[in-house]
Amino acid sequence: MAEIGKVRIRIPSNIKRGDVVRVRSLVIHPMEIVQRRDGKPVDKNYLFIHKVMVEYNGREILQADTTQSISENPFFSFTFKPTEPGMLRITFLDTHGGKYEGTAEIKFT
Amino acid sequence: MQEWVEGGRVSRRVVLRALGLLGVSAAAAPFLAGGPGTASGQGNLGSLQPEEPVDATLKRLFGGRPIKDGSSVIKMDLPLIAENGAVVPITVEVQSPMTPTNYVKSIYIISDRNRRPMNARFSLTPEMGAAAIGANLRLNETGDVRAIAELNDGTLLMAKREVKVTVGGCGG
Repeated sequence: MAEIGKVRIRIPSNIKRGDVVRVRSLVIHPMEIVQRRDGKPVDKNYLFIHKVMVEYNGREILQADTTQSISENPFFSFTFKPTEPGMLRITFLDTHGGKYEGTAEIKFT
Repeated sequence: MQEWVEGGRVSRRVVLRALGLLGVSAAAAPFLAGGPGTASGQGNLGSLQPEEPVDATLKRLFGGRPIKDGSSVIKMDLPLIAENGAVVPITVEVQSPMTPTNYVKSIYIISDRNRRPMNARFSLTPEMGAAAIGANLRLNETGDVRAIAELNDGTLLMAKREVKVTVGGCGG
């Protein structure tokens, strides 16, 4: 899993002021599922992403709390409405203290 | 009472014992209460969610608050049949103006037949322009998937859809 934590963000190529932009993001992450021994869940610190934060120019626009019921290599999509050009930053936090970031620049055409 | 108070002064042992009791009850309170607003229900989902039936999840998250039928305003898009339960794409769109005075505060995704039904909670802001989110879920077996939207005035709206799962994708 050398690629763990790699973040990809997709935004439309043409964005006009006032558009509602659909952003798609993906992070490479194992999102461990619960192991069972004799039918009982094994108690340990499972490695999965529990928080996703989306910021635009430093202002928070979306936060997601996720559990291990989200698939491996989690994909998230959301909309947002930029009023000025700027930097979109998506941060993923996992239960082992990992922090993975991806950015995308929003420019108007 | 005599053994607690010595010469008009509370003995040290009694004070310590009282403090100990207070500490214990304070720590146990969130688990006993179990209602909305407690750390276990509304806080960070960093730890594994408890294994519980979906009714218990709804009770833990929303307490006794009424959940209205929101199938006319919530649009859920997910496959009717999921061949692989490990990756089930879902999008949830709530029709809302998303203005600072009228917006969708959060969207919960809950799958009834998972051992831990709570899947994800999205906290939205008016700057999103539209209340639309998407994710990939793990579903254990055939059952309903619910999307519950909480509006900024506290109203809860729910929509649900059944998904047939051929191969389960969730060990937890």
